[in-house]
Amino acid sequence: MLEASALQRLGIAMASTALALAIGLVVVAAAGYDPVTFLADVFEGAFGDENSIGRTLKFTTMFVLVGVAVAVAFRAGVFNIGVQGQFIVGGFATVVAILWLAPLLPAGTVGGLALLVLGTLAGVVAGGLYAAIPGALKAYGDANEIITTIMLNFIAVGVVGYLVEGPLRGEGNRAPNTARIPEYVSLPSVVFDSPDFSLVGLAVALVVVGVVSVVMIRTRVGYDMVTSGHQEAAATFSGVDAGRTVVTTMAFSGMVAGVAGAVFAIMIQGYYSDPGGVATYGFDAIAVSLLAANNPLGVVPAALLFGGLDSAGTHIGINSDVPPQLIDGIVGLVVLFVAAPELFRMAARRTGLGGERR
Amino acid sequence: MSVAGYVERNRLGIGGAVATVLLALVLAVAFDLPVESIVTVGFVERSLQAATPIALAAIGGLYAEKSGVFNIGLEGFMILGAANAAAFVWLIGGESPTQGDLWLAIVAAVLVSLVYTLLFAVLLVRYRADQIVAGLAVWFIGLGFGPFSAVLIWGNRNSPGLVSVNDLTVPVLADVPVLGPILFDTSPLVLATAVVAVAAWVFLYRTRYGYWIQAAGENPEALDTAGVNVRRVRYASVLFSGAMAGLAGAVLFAHAGSFTGTGDTMVNGRGWIGIVAYLFGNYNPVGAAAAALLFGGLDMLQIQFQTAGIELPNRLVNLFPYVAVVIVLTVWGSTRMPSAVGESYETEE
Repeated sequence: MLEASALQRLGIAMASTALALAIGLVVVAAAGYDPVTFLADVFEGAFGDENSIGRTLKFTTMFVLVGVAVAVAFRAGVFNIGVQGQFIVGGFATVVAILWLAPLLPAGTVGGLALLVLGTLAGVVAGGLYAAIPGALKAYGDANEIITTIMLNFIAVGVVGYLVEGPLRGEGNRAPNTARIPEYVSLPSVVFDSPDFSLVGLAVALVVVGVVSVVMIRTRVGYDMVTSGHQEAAATFSGVDAGRTVVTTMAFSGMVAGVAGAVFAIMIQGYYSDPGGVATYGFDAIAVSLLAANNPLGVVPAALLFGGLDSAGTHIGINSDVPPQLIDGIVGLVVLFVAAPELFRMAARRTGLGGERR
Repeated sequence: MSVAGYVERNRLGIGGAVATVLLALVLAVAFDLPVESIVTVGFVERSLQAATPIALAAIGGLYAEKSGVFNIGLEGFMILGAANAAAFVWLIGGESPTQGDLWLAIVAAVLVSLVYTLLFAVLLVRYRADQIVAGLAVWFIGLGFGPFSAVLIWGNRNSPGLVSVNDLTVPVLADVPVLGPILFDTSPLVLATAVVAVAAWVFLYRTRYGYWIQAAGENPEALDTAGVNVRRVRYASVLFSGAMAGLAGAVLFAHAGSFTGTGDTMVNGRGWIGIVAYLFGNYNPVGAAAAALLFGGLDMLQIQFQTAGIELPNRLVNLFPYVAVVIVLTVWGSTRMPSAVGESYETEE
């Protein structure tokens, strides 16, 4: 997949999305709904009004962060399917850290800012450590990281779910949630007047993209990661410790997932609830990253696309009878088609469209 | 190979097994666990039932991998199998389906799985799709369209209680103590799975086609030279794996009696555990079924702990299988994969 040129990649990404949407429309029609109305609902839900745009950008923020987390690992040839788990552990650590530290710091803007930073740091550390586990198991125990990370997702949901149900449930809470983090620990609303979206969050996500790109392209660590991914033998020959690189890669990827968890906890939720019922950003992130050819910069437009789709899903869930789970299925189809670029190359050659690109 | 040689090469694995048994013993003594009220006949029965879907998926998956295609989509095919079985039961039998309706639905769900798998296999074999990514995609598709169809049919991500499979009771034999209830008064699907495991072993290791499957994964060039169509062997193996995963999902539904589409759906990682089961069973169908039994047993510990009065939160006991998978993969993970797995094969034309 990586041998394709940038232009070809873009073509494949667009064709995959279009084909997946087309199949989605067929399913909608087959289920007895009007596909035209559905399509109109999708656009309205994604970009219809200020509300929709704010919601789309909220999801985009999350997808940028988790997408970059996945991209970091995939680029280095490590399959981190555990971003969901790292995202949960990171977000939970953020909330717990803020709740514990809040009484020790002065309330108000300064205290709030300090708590934001410390909470996010806690999330980053927790996410990184949780990801380092499967990294170490792969590097030193030869355990397939695809399966260990998936298992660790289930374990994260179970353990955090147990903690918010029992030991760490907020006092007097009927629902299995932690206590709410203090009002003054929040991102200021800029332009969009929404309780769960702030442009500051989006800015944080874009800064993370920049930092990750620089680390991957301009630093020794990043270079080692990418070479190990493409040419393991060559990397080992030039003195890169393959085992340690795997652990570093996973930890780095998990740290970004931790930032995603922190932004989710602070910007969107304000407390932590049973992660069994929380959105599965970490899974959609795989689709985001693949669509972006695992390029941290490419993640931004891909995240916008998926942000729009998810926002449309929310809109459809409220305003239409079509079950919003359809959107998840469409995301799966996008991934399926992205996995098979040959399908489109062959189609392109048959129809004579862009066949000369090869 | 000599016993000493085997021990030499598997030192870590054997050490791990001994350590696990010792740890279990120490825990049992230290916490004064009522072992006899944990390991009961009912527990074995439930474990076998829980192991059945895992074993079926594992046997399918190992065939695909033996032929050189890593079918990582087992979990997704299981979700679709369970959802389709539930949908067909509803379609055929309505509110109060009979046992006959259930069996028909299982067959129908497997047939539909074959169609899905054919599309998947074409993408993998013909269009050389990335096996890992495409397999993950199948999981996501299952997670989306499984609950989607449930919402379409029942207006809810979960189906209402439909029908579960009746136990098969063999007269006289069922009265034999211990073995009777376990083997002769249980779900027929458990017995069928045992038969499938043995048959799958015989087919893979004792028939010509079984050797072709192994050759397709180990040395496709040689198989091609011998005049066998490698692609066709791989298509057959992948189709079998998808049908088995679909069956596994249908069996899961038949034991539960309803479809659950919330969270990670009722399949809840069993497809992934199936992959580990066949790795642990070293690509041997019978070994894979035995490993599935281990995971099934861990899955059912929760009920035993409750009846034995051991105070451990459910949510944590439920995690035992996942933790076990991680340990198993780490200690016994380095099983030998067929050498051509993951590579698409092109005949020189």
